[in-house]
Amino acid sequence: MNDHWTNRLSEYIDGELDNEERVALEAHLATCGSCYATLAELRQVVARAQSLDDTAPATDLWPDIRARLTPDRRPGVERARRFSFSVPQLLAAGIALVLLSAGGMWLGLGSRTSGPPSAPPQTGGDYQPVDWRPTADAAVAELEQALSLNEGQLDTATVRVLRQNLAVIDRAIAQAQRALKRDPGSNYLNLHLANTMRQKIELLRRANALAAGQS
Amino acid sequence: MPRQVLEDTLTADSIAADTALAASGDPSAFERLYRSHVARIHTLVRRMLDADETDDVTQEVFIRAWQKLSTFRGESAFGTWLHWLAVNVVLARRKSVGVERGRFITENEPLDGVTGRRETPELSLDFEEALARLPEGARQVFVLHDVEGYRHDEIARMLGVVPGTSKSQLHHARMALRRHLDR
Repeated sequence: MNDHWTNRLSEYIDGELDNEERVALEAHLATCGSCYATLAELRQVVARAQSLDDTAPATDLWPDIRARLTPDRRPGVERARRFSFSVPQLLAAGIALVLLSAGGMWLGLGSRTSGPPSAPPQTGGDYQPVDWRPTADAAVAELEQALSLNEGQLDTATVRVLRQNLAVIDRAIAQAQRALKRDPGSNYLNLHLANTMRQKIELLRRANALAAGQS
Repeated sequence: MPRQVLEDTLTADSIAADTALAASGDPSAFERLYRSHVARIHTLVRRMLDADETDDVTQEVFIRAWQKLSTFRGESAFGTWLHWLAVNVVLARRKSVGVERGRFITENEPLDGVTGRRETPELSLDFEEALARLPEGARQVFVLHDVEGYRHDEIARMLGVVPGTSKSQLHHARMALRRHLDR
């Protein structure tokens, strides 16, 4: 076995040799059965590594982890302190993207029900505070109405998973709304609520698009 | 859209929702994130470190994740972010316990005591045993490159070596595993 070439076989497998080296190594492989066999074995090792499965721990680690989650180290607390004046612009931009996306879905569905959601708030130029919630609530209501008409196109298991995910998001929305009642001026909570609402609209939009594709 | 794709999409949405909930301080949401990711993280840690450290370090990864969720900006999937965090916790552990001995594998160093088998249902386990017997440095390079898919320049930065060292360690690891798996 030629040690010089053997030591380059991994680089050859990974495509890291330059063209001249690659050609020279391939010429060597054509005449060296030992290196040729080693190359095949190394490829087998690489393939094996890529097919390994993950395994869960033998014991449940969650109880110990849960006991060490310190409430006053909650990420949300730290984050709330860092957000500053630019959050309203972020909120408006995020909701604009959501509503544009929802509107695109409505166009894709051919406006089967009562029409597209309201126009997004303007985000260019000088920022003017916009109460985005009524518009977002209207978009959600319209998408939910469309889904109730279309979900018969989806199989039962898919609908069940969809409902489970919507329930998770609804709990997050309710939690954020409760927190906002206690702290209406929190930029973090407003952003969190907007992001959660965006997730709900995105999920409804995808589910409607899927249902429309299967009809 | 095939059903599996939809299921994956819904799973991703659910994880995104749980990530937002956990970031707001909801331990139940964080538990769901833990349960959906623990096998992946535990396996990564086990392959990178000694088996008796695996549970402790896995717990440390999730506790750090809880503490650092405020820095997660959603630019990547939560799983990707958590994986990156786990790699950093493992490498920090490696430095803190001074795991420098046995860092390099010599070309002729055998993995004696590991019995290789041909294609059998137990082959994956045999491979894991052989992997666990590699010297620390070679094992980590092999796991990061061949199992986890990192590039040599990324591995070199993580481990504080030059890319050539990463390539050399990878080749020696592959050669060692080859000898023991194909008897």
